[in-house]
Amino acid sequence: MNKELEHSFVTQLEENQNIVHKICRLYTNDSDAHNDLFQEITIQLWRAFPKFRGDSKFSTWMYRVALNTAITLYRKSKRSIKTQDFEGVSFKISSEPYDDTTEKQLKLMYSAVKDLNDIDKALVFLYLEDKNYKEISETLGITEVNARVKMNRIKEKLRTILNP
Amino acid sequence: MDELEILKKQWQSQEQVLPHLSYDDIYKMLLKKSSSIVKWIFFISIAEILFWTLLSFLVPESSTKFSDEIGLHNILLGVNVLNYSVFGFFIILFYKNYRKISTTDSIKDLMKNILRTRKTVKYFVIYNVTASILLIIGINFYYYVNQDIVFRFMTEDYGITNISQERFMKMFFVIQILFGIVMIGFVMLFYRIVYGILLRRLHKNYKELKKIEV
Repeated sequence: MNKELEHSFVTQLEENQNIVHKICRLYTNDSDAHNDLFQEITIQLWRAFPKFRGDSKFSTWMYRVALNTAITLYRKSKRSIKTQDFEGVSFKISSEPYDDTTEKQLKLMYSAVKDLNDIDKALVFLYLEDKNYKEISETLGITEVNARVKMNRIKEKLRTILNP
Repeated sequence: MDELEILKKQWQSQEQVLPHLSYDDIYKMLLKKSSSIVKWIFFISIAEILFWTLLSFLVPESSTKFSDEIGLHNILLGVNVLNYSVFGFFIILFYKNYRKISTTDSIKDLMKNILRTRKTVKYFVIYNVTASILLIIGINFYYYVNQDIVFRFMTEDYGITNISQERFMKMFFVIQILFGIVMIGFVMLFYRIVYGILLRRLHKNYKELKKIEV
């Protein structure tokens, strides 16, 4: 019985691990911290798994637990994230070629996103994941209107950072 | 907002550069909680030996002189050597437990290692408490046998006068016994708090693992 539970959990996490990797990448700056956060999220997910009833999709539930873990840990450590560190992130693989300016803009954008506070970052993350506002609000436990307002403010903030 | 849209596009294509963990990698992560607790047990045992060593430097000179004069010097030295050896032995055991747990792959082995670690810690605590009790009893017994020297030292070096030896020794032992009880209470409290918490967590993990295993 519990062996089955374990198997089903690990299989589903393996299938959906990209979600966690992406969150780790957004909330940490080096591969050690990335792996630590991944492990912490895995443990939190595993702890919460018996309560996962399957009335939402596994991935939806994962977004919620994983983001909560990242936000809590981020709050605890209170490390300031330096913008230079994101250089390591590779944008090389893409379907269409970008010119240098776009590449530069992208990096700036990414660094601005990394500089956001923990909650705003979670919001942008879900937005980048192409979630609609209903899903975003459900995942973060805020109202849909609130999510929209917040997102607009973040966009405004990002705009001022990019075009001072 | 153009940039955010471009970033979104990019974001969705980054899947290819993300790390990929295998089923086994993830499975092992579920077991890792215990390894960090055992690591703490190892670190705390080292911190403890450092603490006792530092403390021994703080012993006032008069107290050392007292021990020397009464002829306890060699005995205390022997006790120290023995104590540090036993401590060293336990630290090696803790380290071994830690290594074993962090390389364990199967739940069964992990459970076995948790039980072993708990047992090691239990013996370590029993040794420390027993050793403290025996040391206090032993030293006071030695004082009792050599009452004359103790009294002479106290009257000469601490300037205690106008009190009879019998009365003084009575007071001396009452203070010694009270002090001993407080000391042992402290030692027990320390172990109860520090290792107690860690052992309880280990036990919780053990129970969780047992649920998985059955």
